[in-house]
Formats: sequence, structure tokens, C-alpha cells
Amino acid sequence: MRPTPDQALDERTLTVWKIAAAIGSILYFVFPAAYWGALKFWEFPDWIFYALIFVAILFALINIFFIQKLQWSRWRYKIYDNEVELMHGVFVVRRVIIPMIRVQHVDTRQGPIMRYYKLASVTISTAATTHEIPGLSLEKAGTLRDHIAQLAREADPNE
Amino acid sequence: MNDWKRQHPASIFISFINNVKQMIITFIAIFIFGQSQTTGSFYYLIFFGAILLFSIGSGFIGWWKFKYILRQDELQIKQGLIFRKNRFIRKDRIQSIDINAKLLQRLFGLVEVRIETAGGGNEPEFRIVALRKEEAEQIKKQLLKKYKMKTKLESDEQSVNNEDFNEKLPKEEEEEFYSSDGTETKEYQLEEVSEDMEEEEEKKPEYQWELGNRRLFVAALTSSGVGIAATFIAAIMSQAPQFLPDWLFESVIGWFLESSVLLIGGTIVFVLLTAWLFTLVGTLLKYGLFKLTKIKDEIHISRGVIDQRQLTLNASRITAVRIVQSPLRQLFRYVSVYVESAGGGTKEEDLSTVLIPLCKRMDVPEILNQIIPDFAFTPTYEGIPKESLRRYMIKLIVPPVVVAGVATYFLPYGWIAFVLPIVGAVIGYFQYKSAGISLHKEFLCIKSRVISKTEVFIPRKRIQDMESTQNVLQKLDQLYTIHVSVLTSMMGKTFSLRHISLSQIEKGHMWYSYQEEFLQSADKKTSTDL
Repeated sequence: MRPTPDQALDERTLTVWKIAAAIGSILYFVFPAAYWGALKFWEFPDWIFYALIFVAILFALINIFFIQKLQWSRWRYKIYDNEVELMHGVFVVRRVIIPMIRVQHVDTRQGPIMRYYKLASVTISTAATTHEIPGLSLEKAGTLRDHIAQLAREADPNE
Repeated sequence: MNDWKRQHPASIFISFINNVKQMIITFIAIFIFGQSQTTGSFYYLIFFGAILLFSIGSGFIGWWKFKYILRQDELQIKQGLIFRKNRFIRKDRIQSIDINAKLLQRLFGLVEVRIETAGGGNEPEFRIVALRKEEAEQIKKQLLKKYKMKTKLESDEQSVNNEDFNEKLPKEEEEEFYSSDGTETKEYQLEEVSEDMEEEEEKKPEYQWELGNRRLFVAALTSSGVGIAATFIAAIMSQAPQFLPDWLFESVIGWFLESSVLLIGGTIVFVLLTAWLFTLVGTLLKYGLFKLTKIKDEIHISRGVIDQRQLTLNASRITAVRIVQSPLRQLFRYVSVYVESAGGGTKEEDLSTVLIPLCKRMDVPEILNQIIPDFAFTPTYEGIPKESLRRYMIKLIVPPVVVAGVATYFLPYGWIAFVLPIVGAVIGYFQYKSAGISLHKEFLCIKSRVISKTEVFIPRKRIQDMESTQNVLQKLDQLYTIHVSVLTSMMGKTFSLRHISLSQIEKGHMWYSYQEEFLQSADKKTSTDL
């Protein structure tokens, strides 16, 4: 039985995700807004408008305080000498194995919120796919990137 | 040879027609929706006129501004009026050169040259649309000659070519060459190599496979495009009334309303028959004259009656083999074989290439043994756990039940839709029965079915990553889905098998892992904690 990976993401990532989710939650309010617009033209019952707002707020709260947290706590990765393993997901649990010899390049990248919190994500690209470790402290992301790049360079191409 | 050259002027016409072909859908849409407003027709005319003029203009500019030149070790191409593009195609980067004669080109006795290069971002291939045949052959010869000479020189200097795909062919030649006369001067060598090349070109192919008329006909009869063609024809027929005179339309409708269910059934049968005839002819034209030859490491495929296509694949670049069997073909044990390869592949075929359009399943290992011997084996599949059966069936039963429920409520005779869940259940059962996984030495083999049964053979060293997923429902039964990705031209492709057991996924991980301790199940740890 293969052990599950044990490295977690940086704690500040959760904060970043919460903020991102809060921004994303604006989308939920499109429906009440549209309904409110419709009220100007037709005579629909008012209470649906309030119900929609309530639902939107509820969804946003669940997303921000519950789902993001679960997602964050389920994220695990591990760097072995010959492969990278990632494991994450709440409703669908994904587990990926990327051999070092298949790694084509490694990047670190940052969004504006991540930059504020001094975080970065590491993306690992193979010839066919790209995977991401989505939130590590800046220094750690840097060392991880260099470490993976080093291992990928050293990996035996004849394997 | 050292002048800038243009394509044959017919390329203006060819690119114009291609433009029109692309716009034809827009034309039809506007035509149909524009029918009701007769006042606007004048503007439509101007609009179309403008578009046509523009196409001709752009075709002309495209021809005028497209120039190519063959230099010592590269092909240089200039194109574009406003956005100018200057491309240098280095000869030692060229993977293959195909000369196609499509319908439009054949009208003028011309050919299209397709040059494929290794890697290279968004545009791995390059086309010269219209050339005289002799000129195309000349270019091909020139480029291939230089290509071999170049790699020869590189190996002389003992520089390592990292493109492991290219390596095999030149190396073999090198050995041949040295055994004959290794002491000559370099300049003399160059000529020698190019002569070698010409000799090689005339060399007999190692293996040849032809589709033949009988198999072509069976392929056409059993082709599965019927469904698509039927919808297409039905769509056209539903639009037809708009083009017919009113009196005819009315009398047809009247006649239709008076007539029996039998007649409606007859119409459906007629539509299907026509559709089938269309796909039959389509397949005949597409795969007619299909011939596969193998010369050294290269697989050449030529096919097509009207659109003559030529494809070149490098056997060492094949990343997966797919054996597909539609239910109709399954009855007669016929299959078709596709290959995924890094480079090559056409958009129409989902970026893979038809290696064998049709043959008996039992003949596949034998044919593959001649073309790509690594893939020539018959795996023994391990079925998936019986808990998966309900996963496969429920997925295909629940949505149709909902649809049927809605249909029953709203439509007369809607209850007939309850046939759908039954069909779904049957398909689900067969999907379960077909599913299987096998770890055959260095190959992962996956057998699965959507409607057609597909077997995929993927070598371990071609698998870019392995992924397992488990959703909430799968968790109840301890089932997993396995995904593996391989490189195909331009992008990756992922093959999956749903609902396999824990032990199967563990075995898969163990087989794929590059970490020794997981291979030998020893529990020493050499991981770096970062």
C-alpha cells in the first residue's frame, strides 16, 4: 500500500482562497439582481427577491467558510526523488503521480492576492499535462521549484 | 534555385474556395433566417458581394506576398501584407514532408506540400498550398537530402542530438557509411550521403499493407457515421419547405397529415437509407486506395480517391495504439486501429491517425508485428469488480428516467420514452462487461466501451502522468477511476477507465511508480521533505 503524501499547503493559502471565493461569490448575486431588474417591468412577488438574496448569501457563506477550508485541508503533496505526488479534492479525490523524467518545466507564479500574502504556486508541466501546487510561501515555492528542476534534470532518461 | 519563388497562381483560387467553404454555414444561416424580410435582400447581396470580393482580394494578396526560398540548410518563407511573417524551417528539424493532392489541387494538376517539424509551439506544421508536382518533388528531395547530410555532419562532430525521435534513422545510415568508406574527405562525404539517400528512396519497402476492395467495402457498409449523416439530412429536409413553392409545400403537408404511421415510418427509413448511402460513399472515397508502407522507421500512409492524402509517421514517435470496434463490426470481429503520435495526426480524426481502417481482430498482432513490433501482443484483461456494474448502469438509467418522466407528463405518448432507460441499462451492462485492465510488461492496456469497444495499449515510458480519482459515490464501493496522459500532436490526450478496484489502482500505481521503494514494496524512505 502506497503511503499518502503528507505535505500540506501554507496556512495563508486558505486566507487567499477565502478572499478569492468571496470575490467569486458576487456571481451568486446575479440572479437576485436580474430578478430585481425584472420587477421594474413585470409584477412579480417581492418575496422571491429576498429569498434569492438569502440563498446567495447562504451559498457564499458555505463556500467561503466551509468548502474552501475542506479543500485546503485535503490538499497534500510530496516530492520524492523520482516522482511528485499530489492528492487533493473534496467531492472528487484526485491523486496524481508525475515521474521526474516526464517533467518538462517547473514554474512559480503569483496572483495579486497571493503576492500580498507573499505566497506563490508551483506548476509542474509534462509534455501532455500541467499540475499545480497552489499555495506555498515564496521561499518554499522557490526552493521547491529549483529542487524539482534539479531532480528532473538528473532523472535517468533511459528509464 | 536561389531565387524567391511564389506558389502557383491557382493558390488564389484554392484559398478563395477554402474561404467560401468556411463561410458557407454563415451563408446558409443568414439565408434561412433572412427569408422573411424581403426588403433586406438587396443589402444581403451587397454584403455577400463584399465578402466574395474580400476573399478574392485576400487570396490574391496571400499569393502575392507568399514567397519561399530554399537555402543551404533551411527553407525560408515570407508571408503576410500587414503582419509579416518570416519563417525559417531548419532542415534538420523537419520530421516529415507529405505531398497531398486534394480535390481542388487536382483540378489544376497541382499538389499541396505539408512540412512537419519537431515540436515548435503552436505551428508544428507548415503548408505550401499550390505547387506543380515536379516542383514539390524537387523541394522534398532537396530538403530530405540536406536533412540527412546535416545530421550526418552533426554526428561527425559528435554533438548529441537530444531529439531522441530523430536519432535512429541517421545513426543507422552512419554505420553503413563508415563500413563502406570511412577515410574520405568531408566534402566528398556530403555527395556520397546524398547519393546514398537517393538509393534508399528507391529501396523496396520492408512491409506493405493494402486495404483492398473487399475490406474497403465492408468498412463502408459498417461505418458508424450513419447517425451523424441522418441528423444532417433530417436537418436539411426540415429546412427544405422554405425553398419549395407554397402550393407544393401545402399539398405535401396535406398528404402527409392524411397518411398513416406507416408512411412516416417509411420517411424515416428513407432518411436513414440516404444517410447510410452518403456515409458509404464517403468512406469509400476516404479510404479508397488505402496503402500503408513501412520503410525503415517511417510509416507512410496514402489514401483517398478524390482527396489524395499522404501521411508520414515515425514509428518511434507512436505514443499509444487504439483498437476500436463498433457494435456492428463486433458482430463480424472486425476492428480498426488508430495510433496516437507526437506529431502527425489530423483534426478530423481527433488528432490521431488511422493505421488500419479495417481488419479482423485476430490479424491485428500480426500486422502490428510488421509495423510496430513493440505493440504486437494480445493482453489478457482483468475484469473490474462487480460493484462497478451498478455504477455503470445507474449513470445511464437515471437521466433517461427523468427525461421520460417529463415526457410522459407533457407529451402525448410520452410514456414511450421509458424505452430509453431500458436501452441505457443494456448499454451500461455491456460497458461493464467490456471494461478491463491489464499490465502487460511495459504496457498498460485499457479496455472500455462507450458505444464502441476500445482497447488502448500505452507503453509505460510514454505515460506522462498517472492519476486516480474517486468521487463520493465511488467511495461507497471503494472504486476508483484511473487516468493516464500521453503526448499527441500539439496537446496531450488522457485515457481513463472508470470504476476499478482498490487493488487494481494500487497495482497500477506500483507498476507506474519510478520510486524504487514502491516498486519493491520495501519500506525505506528516501523522500525529501520540503
